[in-house]
Amino acid sequence: MWGSVWYVRSDALRMRKLRLLDRGMEALVYIAGALIVLVVAAIFYYLVHESRPAFDRKFTYGFLFALQPSEGEFEKDLSYDPNASILTCNWEGDDALDSKEEGLPLGTLDSFKGISSLVTVAANGGSNGSQAAGNLYRDEWKGPQKAETAHDFVLYAFATPEYKSKTMFLAWDVHTGSNPSALPYNLKLELVGKPAGADLDFASIDLKLNPKGRIKIPTFIAATESDRIKGYRFRISAKSVSGTLAATLRNFFSTVWGPTIAHPSYGMIPLLLSTMLITFVAVALASPIAIASAVYLAEIAPTRLREILKPLIEMLASVPTIVLGYFGLMLLAPIVQKTIAQPLGLDSGRCLLTAALIMAVLIIPTILTLSEDALRSVPDYMRSGGEALGLTRKETLRKVILPAAKAGIISAIMLGVARALGETMIVWVLSGGTPKMPIASSLTEAAKSMVQPTRGIPDTIGIEMGNVTFGEQHYGHLFLLGLVLFVLTLLLNLTAFKFARRHEWRH
Amino acid sequence: MASLAKIVIPNEKALTTRDNSRESRSRISSYSLALVTFLTALLIVGIIGTIVWKGAPSLTWEFLSQSPKANMSAGGIWPMIRGSLLLMGGTLLAVLPAGILGGIFLAEYAGRGRLARLMHACVTSLAGTPSIVFGLFGLAVFVLLLKWKFCLLAGWLTLAVFSLPTVVLTTETAIRSVPDSLIEGALSLGLSKWQTMWKVVLPNAMPGILSGLILTTGRAAGEAPPILLTAGIYYSTSKFELNSGMLFQPIENLPYHLAEGYRQGGVIPDRIVWGTCLSLMLFVLLLNIGAVIFRSRMRWKQLQH
Repeated sequence: MWGSVWYVRSDALRMRKLRLLDRGMEALVYIAGALIVLVVAAIFYYLVHESRPAFDRKFTYGFLFALQPSEGEFEKDLSYDPNASILTCNWEGDDALDSKEEGLPLGTLDSFKGISSLVTVAANGGSNGSQAAGNLYRDEWKGPQKAETAHDFVLYAFATPEYKSKTMFLAWDVHTGSNPSALPYNLKLELVGKPAGADLDFASIDLKLNPKGRIKIPTFIAATESDRIKGYRFRISAKSVSGTLAATLRNFFSTVWGPTIAHPSYGMIPLLLSTMLITFVAVALASPIAIASAVYLAEIAPTRLREILKPLIEMLASVPTIVLGYFGLMLLAPIVQKTIAQPLGLDSGRCLLTAALIMAVLIIPTILTLSEDALRSVPDYMRSGGEALGLTRKETLRKVILPAAKAGIISAIMLGVARALGETMIVWVLSGGTPKMPIASSLTEAAKSMVQPTRGIPDTIGIEMGNVTFGEQHYGHLFLLGLVLFVLTLLLNLTAFKFARRHEWRH
Repeated sequence: MASLAKIVIPNEKALTTRDNSRESRSRISSYSLALVTFLTALLIVGIIGTIVWKGAPSLTWEFLSQSPKANMSAGGIWPMIRGSLLLMGGTLLAVLPAGILGGIFLAEYAGRGRLARLMHACVTSLAGTPSIVFGLFGLAVFVLLLKWKFCLLAGWLTLAVFSLPTVVLTTETAIRSVPDSLIEGALSLGLSKWQTMWKVVLPNAMPGILSGLILTTGRAAGEAPPILLTAGIYYSTSKFELNSGMLFQPIENLPYHLAEGYRQGGVIPDRIVWGTCLSLMLFVLLLNIGAVIFRSRMRWKQLQH
């Protein structure tokens, strides 16, 4: 009797233990499930989080101003004019990004004695003429400016008594980087003061529209030290037109990608376009081949043949993409160079076309496997139904099976597109060039830009991440590129998923 | 009766002649489909064969067992092979628990409703996310946020996250392919859910799960971008030791070696590049073939029991 009671109690214990284990496993399994959703969310979060430095962006612009004689020789390139004044933000590119340098104090009038000189002097602020003549600076260096800030510079212009001509020119050269429209500032040159009796009818000039030019002004001669600030007084105002966020985004959707040039520009359009072009060519080449093979393997080929051919084609999935890239670089690129690039007057076989060809090879197995699955999931009663209606095998295929598997095939192509969009190493090796906009003005130009070296989004991230300072604007922009890629492929994958699911054949 | 035959015969004739032409046209097109398929297979076999053919001459024992010498222009690639093996092994261990549990969740717990759809959408889109995005994620979280710097551990975890969705999907398929009758039988014998899972479902699904794991992590270790941003180093001067210190050191590996070698302007001679390419390809290919053989042998053994 005791034995049986003991048995019952131990059984209850055992049951409780088992139930606990059940609960424990359930908890673990749910945690693992949550982990997957968490990973998606975390990737999204960290891509956004790390791209913040891109929005903390400082924009750079610079001016060169010089008074030039109206007669005789003068320097056309202002950066070689010894008398030019530089009002600059980050003239020297990345190196000077955070260093703020003051200009040299201007010497006294005596130091100009004996030289026929035309002088422009820059001074920061003080537009109402409160500047003391002794505090004039020859060059004014500034750090990069944020888009929200507005800045004023004052420019004094005078000639030394040795200058004989009646008129002189004020010439300017504005540097706003390779993409002036992306600069979030309005730059204006205004006349705020002129010497008594000077005959000059001039209000203001938009320097963004006229980045280079000169105007004729009557000569003003500074006879004494204090005269120097009593002559022409120009104001150069840089007024922000948008906040940093809008300015960064506008720049991001512009057409110049040049993170290391003097005025860095981060326009991702050329990268996006070449990625899309490579993808388009690759998918256009690969999908007919892959779908034809899928139809053959799923519907026509004898089972034994299919079991040999399919693994052979799918073997490509285990060739690392960097190896495929090298294959293209060492064997395909020379062929493209000889047959296509050189006749068009270009010298490299490492180009968009070569990358697209290798990419096509890469995605053939992807599209093939998925569309074969789609074809094979068409239920057999549809095949026999077609035959029962007296259709031939080809007609059944074309009119019954293909329409039934259409959704699955389209989603297979979409996944192929997503695969090609995100592929890094093939483009890394094969199109390592400068990011350029593809040209489509004429047919030969279009053909030429197909064999020109380009850069896509994923390989740009990979290549340039090795050279950036972590946490700075370039770094931020690379994460922004990653975000674009992630969102693009996510949308494609989700659409393909939904598409395939909605039209799934349920047995 | 006779009149009926009169009606039928011409029709039948017409039908058969039309049928013949239709059938022959259909044969032509099926030949062209076959041709495309064979050419595709030939192309792929050709690519793999060329890599083997080009790389085979440099694939000597010295090449596989020595360190690079004279600024990568001579010697072997043993440190890179070792690094790739290490990366793969660690990734496999790191992804194993979460991957298998996630697969169990999808197969047995998520059901067929809204939650299941959401989970499937997440997993499939994660599986199709470009590897460079995972690299950026690893860089942001493991390298910079946790301040581990470029190191083996960061590489393991990044590759684990990268291969997680695929492992989950293969595990789910493996578990779903366990016959329902087995599970129902176990449950009807009074086994608890945990016991059923542990004693019936997992042992039966194990060949599929393990081969999926090996396949996925092998491919992940051949994928350059995640390693590029989290763990790789072109040439390590410090002496390699198999201890806990290695976790926080960057590691040389095959795909990174090829990628960085290209970026640094091609100092590696072609002969060594082809050899490295072939080694990397064989690394992944042999793992794949091994996984397939492993699975079929396990299946065979289970059938015999």
